[in-house]
Amino acid sequence: MNSPILWIHGEALGPANPALQAFPGRPAVFVFDETLLSGPGSRPVSRKRIAFLYECLLELPVTLRRGDVAAEVLAFARRHGADGVVTSAAVDPRWARLRAAIAAQLPVQVLEPEPFVCLGEPADLRRFSRYWRLAEPLVWAGFSRFSS
Amino acid sequence: MQPPPVATANQAMPSGKMASLTGVPLAWKPAPGDLPRQFASREALDDALASLFPEADAGLSPVRGGRAAAEAQLARIQPARYGKSRNFLDGAITRLSPYIRHGVLTLAEVRDAVFVRTRERASSEKLINELGWRDYWQRLWRQLGDGIWADCEPLKTGHGPERYAAALPADLGAGRTGLACMDGFIAELYATGWLHNHARLWLAAYLVHWRRIRWQVGAAWFLRHLLDGDPASNNLSWQWVASSFSHKPYIFNRANLERYSGGRYCASCALAAAGCPFEASYEELQARLFPAASV
Ligand SMILES: Cc1cc2nc3c(=O)[nH]c(=O)nc-3n(C[C@H](O)[C@H](O)[C@H](O)COP(=O)(O)OP(=O)(O)OC[C@H]3O[C@@H](n4cnc5c(N)ncnc54)[C@H](O)[C@@H]3O)c2cc1C
Repeated sequence: MNSPILWIHGEALGPANPALQAFPGRPAVFVFDETLLSGPGSRPVSRKRIAFLYECLLELPVTLRRGDVAAEVLAFARRHGADGVVTSAAVDPRWARLRAAIAAQLPVQVLEPEPFVCLGEPADLRRFSRYWRLAEPLVWAGFSRFSS
Repeated sequence: MQPPPVATANQAMPSGKMASLTGVPLAWKPAPGDLPRQFASREALDDALASLFPEADAGLSPVRGGRAAAEAQLARIQPARYGKSRNFLDGAITRLSPYIRHGVLTLAEVRDAVFVRTRERASSEKLINELGWRDYWQRLWRQLGDGIWADCEPLKTGHGPERYAAALPADLGAGRTGLACMDGFIAELYATGWLHNHARLWLAAYLVHWRRIRWQVGAAWFLRHLLDGDPASNNLSWQWVASSFSHKPYIFNRANLERYSGGRYCASCALAAAGCPFEASYEELQARLFPAASV
């Protein structure tokens, strides 16, 4: 990809966003998702939440749109003559569906954000205690970089 | 102690930055339909959002979005005091959740900020452990997908799912239950979009167990208002309270609430002298709320 656009989503609104880090200065877009705005349980999300996102977004170099996310990202890519879309991995299953819809028309590159901990093996997630037995020593292994 | 690197970055911000609400400039041309990125003030942003998103409930939170605000908050964390006081409403909790939820700060950045302020591992273990909860719920969401809205396991309350109401009662929605604690939490949720973890637990337990409402109703209600609203941490915490993701339902009593809230609600509650539904031992509450439970 030589001239991609960046798709920024609500799980990565900081400077650590790997797409912003890998392609500084490239046109970037965030879309207020009409479906998410309409809210869980069919009552819209509050303006408090929208304003919080908005304030985060004003500090990032990103065009703001509202509507159908895949359609808006693709239209933004066309406006900028982009040959692909770069984004960061998200956990929300809705993001995977949007990514697939975009990828049906343009190549999508997904970059991984820095993890809290690399487990190295599939974790047993049935209870927190099992996960933490595996994760805690790995998290604390990183502490040695800070303690002298 | 070493000064945190983030504090330097924060001090370097031009002082007017947070008040002016001017978006960072874009190096490309705007197009029709782009949303505005310049506001004279926060009030002007509120007005603009009211017309751009007319269907959303009114009001801004005093909690500000953005990296500058996040770094200022991160500079205040006190891991050792956190470990001793996190269950108290006025404890040394971090209030970082909205920034973490939206990746303004990554969990890795917060972890490292904790490490920078740590002399002995033991004093920071509790805060690192709570960050672990977030990571855990996120991993579980990856596994469950949209299944996060369904019971992970059967309820252990002795009540079938059909015994729980499917809508939010008007008094809860209006924050007029007559209980000073619950009405106080609801007012804070609406005004700020943030609640202390213990307040979330008490309000969720009241809704699910005392009022017998489906946890999904409460979870959707929270997600509309919480700045940190996240289907993983939120829904799975609701399931933990309800007992579809734990071995037994979570309940509390008045002594517990009074202790960790410093008595601030009971002091002004009309039901303090008589009629408080939480005034009982755990055994009594267990028998009253879950008479048919096998545990
Ligand atoms: C019914 C209910 C609903 C909840 N809904 C949400 C939600 O939508 N989003 C959300 O981020 N948290 C949720 N939580 C978890 C927790 O209450 C908040 O993360 C915490 O209160 C945020 O305040 P803080 O930043 O001061 O946390 P601190 O105690 O200072 O913890 C630091 C960080 O660790 C993480 N963390 C701490 N406790 C938990 C926890 N129990 N589960 C997951 N992460 C945790 C958060 O990212 C938090 O910012 C919910 C809890 C309950 C009981």
